[in-house]
Amino acid sequence: MERILMKGNEALAEAAIQAGCRFYFGYPITPQTEISEYLSRRLPEVGGVFLQAESEIAAINMVYGAASTGVRVMTSSSGPGISLKQEGISYLASAELPCVIVNMSRGGPGLGNIQPAQSDYFQATRGGGHGDYRTLVLAPSSVQELVSLTHRAFYLADKYRNPVKILGDGMLGQMMEPVTWEAVELPSLPPKNWAIKGKNEGERKFILCMELDPRELENFNRKLERKYQQMAEEDSAWEIFGEEDNPDLLLVGFGTVARILKSVVREGKKEGWRLSLIRPITLFPFPYNEVQEMAQKAGKVLVVEMNLGQMVEDVKLGVEGKAPVHFYGRVGGMIPTVDEILQKIADILRGEGRK
Amino acid sequence: MPPLKELAKRPERLTSGHRLCAGCGAPIAIRLILAAADKPVVAANATGCLEVSTTIFPYTAWNIPWIHSAFENAAATITGVETMYRAKKKRGEIDEDIYFVAFGGDGGTYDIGLQSLSGAWERGHRFVYVCYNNEAYMNTGIQRSSATPLGAWTTTSPVGKVLPGKTQWRKNLTEIAVAHDIPYVAQSVPSNWRDLTLKAEKAFHTEGPAFLNVLASCNRGWRHLPADTLKVNQLAVDCCIWPLYEVENGEYRLTYKPREKKPVEEWLKVQGRFQHLFSPAYRYLIDEFQAYVDREWERLLEKCGETKK
Repeated sequence: MERILMKGNEALAEAAIQAGCRFYFGYPITPQTEISEYLSRRLPEVGGVFLQAESEIAAINMVYGAASTGVRVMTSSSGPGISLKQEGISYLASAELPCVIVNMSRGGPGLGNIQPAQSDYFQATRGGGHGDYRTLVLAPSSVQELVSLTHRAFYLADKYRNPVKILGDGMLGQMMEPVTWEAVELPSLPPKNWAIKGKNEGERKFILCMELDPRELENFNRKLERKYQQMAEEDSAWEIFGEEDNPDLLLVGFGTVARILKSVVREGKKEGWRLSLIRPITLFPFPYNEVQEMAQKAGKVLVVEMNLGQMVEDVKLGVEGKAPVHFYGRVGGMIPTVDEILQKIADILRGEGRK
Repeated sequence: MPPLKELAKRPERLTSGHRLCAGCGAPIAIRLILAAADKPVVAANATGCLEVSTTIFPYTAWNIPWIHSAFENAAATITGVETMYRAKKKRGEIDEDIYFVAFGGDGGTYDIGLQSLSGAWERGHRFVYVCYNNEAYMNTGIQRSSATPLGAWTTTSPVGKVLPGKTQWRKNLTEIAVAHDIPYVAQSVPSNWRDLTLKAEKAFHTEGPAFLNVLASCNRGWRHLPADTLKVNQLAVDCCIWPLYEVENGEYRLTYKPREKKPVEEWLKVQGRFQHLFSPAYRYLIDEFQAYVDREWERLLEKCGETKK
């Protein structure tokens, strides 16, 4: 088994190739440009196409075109660029076209900066663009997971005929970690009978994203709803770390923050605290039930994010008032430290923490 | 144009202390252009090296009112400011004459910003748009743009066994500007300060949209010594890769004719990004490059009435 030290962005790009992605449409923006750079070198080697568009809007619509033909296709960007892609993402969701969209997010709003942040959580998990739609959102926490979740992203995109977002951040994209490359086994998928291949075979096919008859559009929206329910039933993913039973407090965090929270769990042990961490791996669908179950065991919850409090709303929806939910956030590209979080926990356990 | 001594006495509008790289062509061009403005100036800036490196909050290197919003919309942003100014002037709330200028790199102008620029040209706002063209996305670390010339290495037009760097010729944005039939369009270069200053002065005095396309080398992306910036820029002019000309109300005029038209090889060989073209496998691209340049140059000479009858 090969173990290589790799930068997050490059590991993700390589994983996309191994998952069968042969078409990539990109546009430069820090801190994810290495994905484009890597694929501009690698895709020609495997008979694929790298194309640098003239804007993010062009790139996402190129994805629309390629995805219509049933191929595995990806684009990537960061904050401001993802905002420009939103119209296209809404169309992709409406046309039920599978694709993978990577957001190595950065501090915002506006131009913001190029340091890591999790402030695109709402945008990612609530669809982002106009209309009633959702995209699956995967939140890797290590370079190894950037690889495994990229494989999973392409699989889920095809399974549901839906765009899948990978929500990383500048830290995950830029950091280097050892990656083990092994064969990935995923369930088999049905053939893409819907894809338009121009071979003049079979029935005439349509890929649509407009329905003028309100009754028909309602039917279509209900169909999407059933798809999102199926995602929640079959494909939500999470990790539990630390105390499984009777913890003193439940920590909730995703991505980069979850790495820090694992250190917090270990350090907390030295203080005599029994801490537990639940890390949502899918942000949509969100593991509401598991969060509630763990929150009831712990009786107290602390959500830590690199934003002003976004996932904490989903945690509260999950907990349904059965335990107090506290929040600690750092913003603007600042990363919370273990000590800061330990201090916050000490305050909560002493009963001084504000909800 | 006032004499150089007078120009030098004008207040610096882009001051020292910015964080652009040593040898960057952009600030040289911007300072020359702003020195040509004989009235107050308001600037808009597209996202890019110039914007980031001159305005690291709480510092700014700009001594003029300056506005930035996003990457694709410097022309739209200055449109808003200029429209407000005209409305206020009409209502008698402002007496002073003010110039409006927008700066964008080639990524923000040739590529993502072209839609808003075309709109502003068509509406006919009185503003000067300056493209400081360093022929790639340098702020994100040297990715190809539609201004990148054929055969250039960038991080997204890599050089290897399959690819010889960029496989397309560059877009001719100056001609796209001319096609909008705006009153003033010019190409210039910071190595010819007089040419650039004269054109900037004309641009500011234009009643309507004016466009300056200024080749400004990036030594990091072009791979040459920082001290050679102006030399490399001037070579582009002398090889007729970047002809200096202007189009005033549709009338073409060549503003500099090289005494001797140098072969493009002379420009290519001083830059690391073209070194692979000198290997036997890719030498044919130098001939293609020369053919493109010759064709554009001949067409331009004809438009300028410079062809021998």
